[in-house]
This record gives sequence, C-alpha cells and structure tokens, in this order.
Amino acid sequence: MSEEDRHFSAELAVIGTGLAGFAASIFALKRNIKTAQVGNTGAVAYTTGYLDLLGSLAPDYLASIEDPWQGIEQLRDSHPRHPLCRIPKDDIFTAFEQFTSFLGKCGIAYTPPGEFNVSGLTPAGTLKPTLCVPATMQVGSAAFSQKEPCVIIDFKGLKGFSSRQVVANLKDRWPKLSSKRVEFPDMVSGEIYPEVMARSLEVPATREKLAKILASAAGDVKVIGLPAILGMHAPDLVREELEQLTGLQIFEIPTMPPSVPGIRLREMFEQLFPQKGVTLIPQQKVDRLVFIENGAQLSLNDSFGPISIHAKSVILATGRFLSGGLKAGVDGVSEPLLKLPVTQPDSRREWYREKYTDRRGHAVNSAGIEVDSSFRPLDNHGRPYSKNLFAAGVILAHQDWIRGRCGAGVAIATAYKAVEEVEKLLK
Amino acid sequence: MTEKTIPTLNFKEKAEELLPEGASFEACLTCGLCSSGCPASGIENMDPRKFIRMAMLGMDKELSTSKWIWACTQCKRCQHVCPMSIDISQLVFLARSNWPREKKPAGIVRSCQLIQSTDSTSAMGLPPEDFVFVVQDVLEEVREQQPKFKNMQAPMDKKGAHFFVNQNSREPMSEPDEMVPLWKIFDIVGANWTYSSKAWAAENFCMFSGNEEAWREVIKKRVDAVNELGCEVWLNTECGHSYYTMWNGINRFGMKADFKLESLVTYYARWIREGKLPVNSDWNRKNITFTVQDPCMIVRKAYGESIAEDMRFVTKSLVGEENFIDMQPNRSANYCCGGGGGFLQAGMTEHRRTYGKRKFDQIAATGASYVLTPCHNCHSQIEDIGHHYRGSYGVVHFWTLICLSLGILGENERTYLGPDLLECI
Ligand SMILES: Cc1cc2nc3c(=O)[nH]c(=O)nc-3n(C[C@H](O)[C@H](O)[C@H](O)COP(=O)(O)OP(=O)(O)OC[C@H]3O[C@@H](n4cnc5c(N)ncnc54)[C@H](O)[C@@H]3O)c2cc1C
Ligand code: SF4
Ligand code: SF4
Ligand code: SF4
Repeated sequence: MSEEDRHFSAELAVIGTGLAGFAASIFALKRNIKTAQVGNTGAVAYTTGYLDLLGSLAPDYLASIEDPWQGIEQLRDSHPRHPLCRIPKDDIFTAFEQFTSFLGKCGIAYTPPGEFNVSGLTPAGTLKPTLCVPATMQVGSAAFSQKEPCVIIDFKGLKGFSSRQVVANLKDRWPKLSSKRVEFPDMVSGEIYPEVMARSLEVPATREKLAKILASAAGDVKVIGLPAILGMHAPDLVREELEQLTGLQIFEIPTMPPSVPGIRLREMFEQLFPQKGVTLIPQQKVDRLVFIENGAQLSLNDSFGPISIHAKSVILATGRFLSGGLKAGVDGVSEPLLKLPVTQPDSRREWYREKYTDRRGHAVNSAGIEVDSSFRPLDNHGRPYSKNLFAAGVILAHQDWIRGRCGAGVAIATAYKAVEEVEKLLK
Repeated sequence: MTEKTIPTLNFKEKAEELLPEGASFEACLTCGLCSSGCPASGIENMDPRKFIRMAMLGMDKELSTSKWIWACTQCKRCQHVCPMSIDISQLVFLARSNWPREKKPAGIVRSCQLIQSTDSTSAMGLPPEDFVFVVQDVLEEVREQQPKFKNMQAPMDKKGAHFFVNQNSREPMSEPDEMVPLWKIFDIVGANWTYSSKAWAAENFCMFSGNEEAWREVIKKRVDAVNELGCEVWLNTECGHSYYTMWNGINRFGMKADFKLESLVTYYARWIREGKLPVNSDWNRKNITFTVQDPCMIVRKAYGESIAEDMRFVTKSLVGEENFIDMQPNRSANYCCGGGGGFLQAGMTEHRRTYGKRKFDQIAATGASYVLTPCHNCHSQIEDIGHHYRGSYGVVHFWTLICLSLGILGENERTYLGPDLLECI
C-alpha cells in the first residue's frame, strides 16, 4: 500500500506534554517561535488544578510555608542546585503570570500569582499551600478564611470525593461546615465519574435540574462546595450559570484522580495549540532524537505511520518515572531517549528510606538530569550535550516536587527559562 | 444439540504476546483515566480499568464470558487518554473471537455471513448484478429528470480509472437516491472514477464479529478488485469502519495493494481548496447551526488530526464559520457515538443507548440544529439517540449539504433535511 511520510519543520521541538511541555509552548507562542510538540498524556491529567510554587521546605518538609518567595530565598542557601534557585524571582513571577493569563484567555480562569500562598481545599479535607487556583475554586479558600456557613455536597455513586470526610477533617477549624449527599440528575446507577458529570453539566437542561437539587440541599446556607464537576470545557460559565440559577455562591474542591481540572487543562491545550499554530502531535512518544548540524531530527510513529520533525532547537520535558522521562532499572536510573547521565543515589539500596511515609522523602525522588546555567543538559563529561538542546520540568535533578509541593513551580519556571534560552539561540 | 460454552482465554498470556513492549498490562497505573473517559464504563458492570485488573488477577473465566466485550466499540479512546498507551480494544477483539459463533450476537454474525455470501461483500447481501442494475436505473432516472445532469456518468468496472469508489449497501438497498449527490460531485469536479461490480460494498462487520479469517477474506476480495481495475486510489465513501477495517486489514494481513487508501473527506477539502467545488454558505441566511461528529474509525484510529481539520474546513465552507460549533471533546479525543463495533447490529439496544448518552450530551451542549458526519454508523446511531433522548437535531451527510450549497440537490435527495433546511433551497 502506498503511504506518504509526514514531515514537519519547526524552530523549536518540545518533547513532552506535561505542564512543563505545555508551558514551554505557551512561552514560545508568546515569543513567536514556530513550535512542534509531541507527547503522551502527562501528569497534568492527574493534577488537582492547583498550581503550586513551593509549599514546604527540605530537609523535613514539616510546616506549610506561607511565603513561597521567601522560601525560595531559603532554598538558595540550603539547596542551591534546586532548579527554582537557578531562576530569578522576577522571571518565576512572570512565568506564572503569563501561564495563568493564557489559561484565562482560553476559557479557564485562574487567580494570578500573589505574594503569598493560598490555602487550597483537598478531597481529604486538608489544606494545601499553593500559588494559583482555578477561579472555580477561589470562593472555597475565601469561605474558609471567613469561616462562613457552608454545605459541602457530594453525589451518590461518585467515588473519590466524600463530603463527610471533608467536613470531618475541617470541622474544628470551620464550625459552620456541614455535609449533604444528593443524586445527580439523569445518571444511570452505579459508579459515576466526575468527568461524566462535568460533561453533562455542559448541557443547559442538566444545569437547570441540578440547580433545583442544589438549592434545596443548601437550605438557608448561602455558600456550597461541590466536587470539581462544573463543566469540562467552559467551567467558569457553568459555575456562573449555576450561581444565577440557585442564588448561591458555589465553589469546587478537587476530587481524587482522575479529576476534572487536570483533564480540562489537557483537553484545552490539545484543542487550542493547533489553532494557535503549534504543530501538536498528541498521545505519541518520540522514538528517536538525533542532533545534526544546526538542529535535531525527531522520529516517531502515530497510528497512521511515520512522522519526522526537523527542529533548530529542542526542549526535553519528558518528566520522571511516571511519564517515562526517567527509567528505573536494576542498574539504576537512566534517561532513555538520549542516555543522558542521571544524578542519583550511588546504589539502589539508597533509593528509599526505611519507611515509605518518611516525611523527608526518598533520595530517588531527587534523581534527574543536570543542566548548565542555560538549562542545557550535560553529557558524561559535564559539557552541554548539544548547543541546541534544553531541558525543563521535573526531569531535572535536585528537587523532590512531591515533598516540596513545587510541581507546577518547577515545570513552569524552568520552561520559561528554557524558552528564553531557545530564543537567544535562534537569534 | 448441546449448548456450546465459551472457552476460557488466558488474557494475561495473550496480552503479552500481543502488546508491544511498554504497552503491557503490567504497566497499568490503575489511574482510571481510561474508565473515566469510556462511554461503555458501567455497562454490564465492567469498565476498561476493571477489565485490565481482572486480566492481571487471572479472572479469565469471568472475562471470557463477559457480555461487555460487545458493548465496547473498540473505539480506542481508552488508549488515547492512557499515559501508558494501553490498548484494551485488542483484547476485546480476542475475546470476541473466542466466543463460539452460536453465542455471539446474532446480528453481527449475520452481517458478516452476508458479506461473505456474495462477491459484492455487502452486509445486506445485495448481489453484484442487483447493484449494477440499481445504479443504472437511478442514473437513467436522474439523466431524464434533471437536465443539468443529462450526461452524468456512474461508471462501472472502468479499468484504469483514478478512483475506485466504494458504496455503503444501505443506499442501493433502501435509499438509492442518496447515491446521486456524490455522483453529482464527481461530475462537477470532473473526477475519473468507477464503481466495481465486485467488492463494491463498504461495510465490514467481520472484524467486529471477531472472525479474523472472514475479515481477511473480505479485505482480500476488495484489494484484488482494486488491483484488477488498476485504480490508483481506493476512495472510501462517507463511512468510518470501512476505511479502518481495510487500512488496518491490509497492514495486519500483509497484503499487497498497489493503490492508496483515501477518504472522501480529504478530497472534498482538496476540491474546495482548488476551487473545483465552488461551495459557499450564502444559502444559510437563517444561520442554521451545525456541529460535526469525528468518526473515531477515521480520526482517532487512523488519520488523526489532518482529517479532523479537513472536516472542519469543509463544514465551515459549507455552513459559514459562525454557524459551526465544535463538540467537546472533539477530534482525536472525541467520544464514539456508540454505533460502532457492530453495536448497531448487535441488538443490545438498551446498552447502546446508554453508551450513546454521552454523545447525546455532547450534541445537546452545542445546541446545534444539525450534526454532520461522514460515517453511516454514526449517522444511524446519532439519529436514534436523538429520538430516544428527545433531542431536536437532524443528521446530514456531507454530500447532501455540498449539493445543497451548489443548488443541485434533487427532489428525492432531501430525506435528511428538516423544514429549516428545506426552506433554504
Ligand atoms: C497525581 C498527581 C497530582 C499532582 N497534583 C499537582 C498539583 O496539585 N499541583 C501541582 O502544582 N502539581 C501537581 N502535580 C505535579 C505536576 O503535574 C508535575 O509536577 C508536572 O506535571 C511535571 O511536569 P513535567 O511536564 O515536567 O512532567 P510530566 O507531567 O510528567 O510530563 C512529561 C511528559 O513527557 C512525555 N514524554 C516522556 N517521554 C517522551 C518521549 N520519548 N517522547 C515524547 N514525550 C515523552 C510524557 O508523555 C509526558 O507528556 C501532580 C502530579 C501527579 C502525578
Ligand atoms: S488509563 Fe492506562 S494506566 Fe490508567 S488505569 Fe487505564 S489502562 Fe491503566
Ligand atoms: S475501546 Fe472505547 S469502548 Fe472500548 S474500552 Fe476503550 S474507550 Fe471504552
Ligand atoms: S460509529 Fe462512528 S463513532 Fe462509533 S465507532 Fe464507528 S466511526 Fe466511531
């Protein structure tokens, strides 16, 4: 059968479609850099929607920190090689500003970065220090700090979110909080996923039916919290309409993964990037990456056949173990695409502490690749692997984003920096 | 006669044989993204994540007999959203193959048998001579009654034609006038095309019935027919699975095909871009709104973004950019309508409609008056769920709207137009 190879060329190829990869494409769009992007579903589909900059500090990761900017200053002394310490504060701020305002323009409004962390509610009924929150969740943080009377509502058949659990854990700090369980309109019985509810709330008739149920569940209370189900594609509109229909103030709380806010982001990126001129090849991985004179050649396959991309520069944003950017094997941790050296504990025995739940985290979770001051990955001799290659995101060594609560921070800030360097190179 | 039982498959072992490295079930993170995004989740108390878990736990007996495999349309959306690219549809195919024929849903089995019963490869069993007759008959009528097309051709078995065009059986069988708009389009662009009296039919339920041998035979007949006529392009009509089963089959069975496989949608787009199909949206004075259904068989499972883009280009050219509303999600992330995988033939109406509820919600959220789709199954299913869930939209083929826009849609070619569209003619 005759087939045609597909070939694309770009100034920048972004490898990875996690937060770092998407952020890189946003920053590249802003700088008019012609971009191609490839990647499979990344961790972004699992996120709560909160964009964390820095929530707690090594070595003990004990208390949540209120001022992430000052936290980064402290890190500079204790962990100077942490990626966040290698980027000027103003740049990190601008990166978050550009990222959140892009999301807002594309239909998912976020609070802009501020001077302090805000408290995000979690499905466990705990509070999480984070920098930017989706507009649909903002009222929750405010209601909590005002301790307003509030009902948390959950749904029959929905797993991964229990209003009773949320209330049980928050009750001592939020006395006027109560819980209710209701039935979601027109759902067949059995397990219901938040994604399904969110999509059905994009239908006006479902919103009207739900509004009646919510109004009656709220009673005299004026503020209600729901699991994150307020629409997939137009959450702000769904929330606004439900508020109008019910006369209540409504906010969302993230659910356990797979949660709607992450899927919202992924779908939005996948839909908008091609419209904005990014060549996006979603749900595929790069099989081979070779550097040639003045650029790189990427090879991959989608269901239709081979694709090749020629790019003048490359940003490697392939994440860690979950996404396949790093691989853990019997011989240690490796980077599969280019075989870049990986900074890691000397032996497998040192990967984990004795107790999995140890607050100080595990050494293997700070493994990653090394970069120079321009965010160029280093080879075995400590020299840049290629002048055209940059890296961003959690593939970078010297950070434990889970413990430090700095996942989005590392991804967005390093992507900003890497794109800035790409622009310099292209000039 | 003794009642046949379903043999027990060792799913884990089979998966290891089948799935490429890195896409094995062991890599499953049990994250649930697949189930969350699968319209068949919950049917027969099963979902894709559960299917994998049960396979890993060796619950082979339960899986081997689960009716759910007939509710999974093999749309591959689960794989699309899975961080590990795990493909459940392949195991579903295996499980289907494993059922004794007597136990399989009779409708799918029958459709495959009919396909095998004649050289037409038609799932409705329409023999070659009848097809030739119907085409000739309809052509003569159009030539007589529509002066603009008094010289129109519908070539049959024309050697060396550029396009070998296939035909869904539903038209010659039950709505022959629906063939005409496409002939008119070919006439206008001056395409060098032909039908074939052999292997002309588009549909292929043998793959869905889990009968690999029959699937291979059908594809073989079709490939031979195209090779015999020496056509450069096998041009697939507005039908999703016919494309996929052919394209995938040729690769799977390692067949030699001296031609390209193309979809009509790509050519609509090309002809509009080249000015050969001078459509516009001036007719849509009342701003009637449209959405499109991306058939997974040609978008997610085959061409990907490029054909999705073509579909949108064609739609916007036809109805006006401002009158087009995309479904959410769309393109490769779109939901299967629930008509695929033989679901429409399987007789599991209640399950099929449960599956289709997602599609209905998607359409209702757009508020569009019409759904355009280049797929026969999508067309039938979307109409059915529209009635069932009391929607108010219509479903139209692209060829209908193209001819409407060109002002050449004949009296008998307007079956799918509602009063609002009829007024625009
Ligand atoms: C369950 C969970 C919840 C989280 N919640 C939060 C939260 O609430 N707040 C927060 O700030 N952060 C959160 N995070 C963290 C945040 O999502 C990550 O920090 C961030 O996504 C890391 O970004 P990344 O782009 O570097 O890596 P990833 O998101 O891991 O993305 C890596 C990408 O690279 C791709 N890739 C790998 N190999 C290849 C290849 N060969 N070719 C092409 N592509 C390739 C992968 O497919 C993937 O798209 C959460 C993470 C998880 C797992
Ligand atoms: S999406 Fe993939 S990894 Fe997640 S549960 Fe489904 S199959 Fe497993
Ligand atoms: S192939 Fe489609 S229907 Fe089947 S499990 Fe996957 S998403 Fe569900
Ligand atoms: S009927 Fe349409 S949506 Fe469903 S499987 Fe077929 S092509 Fe896909």
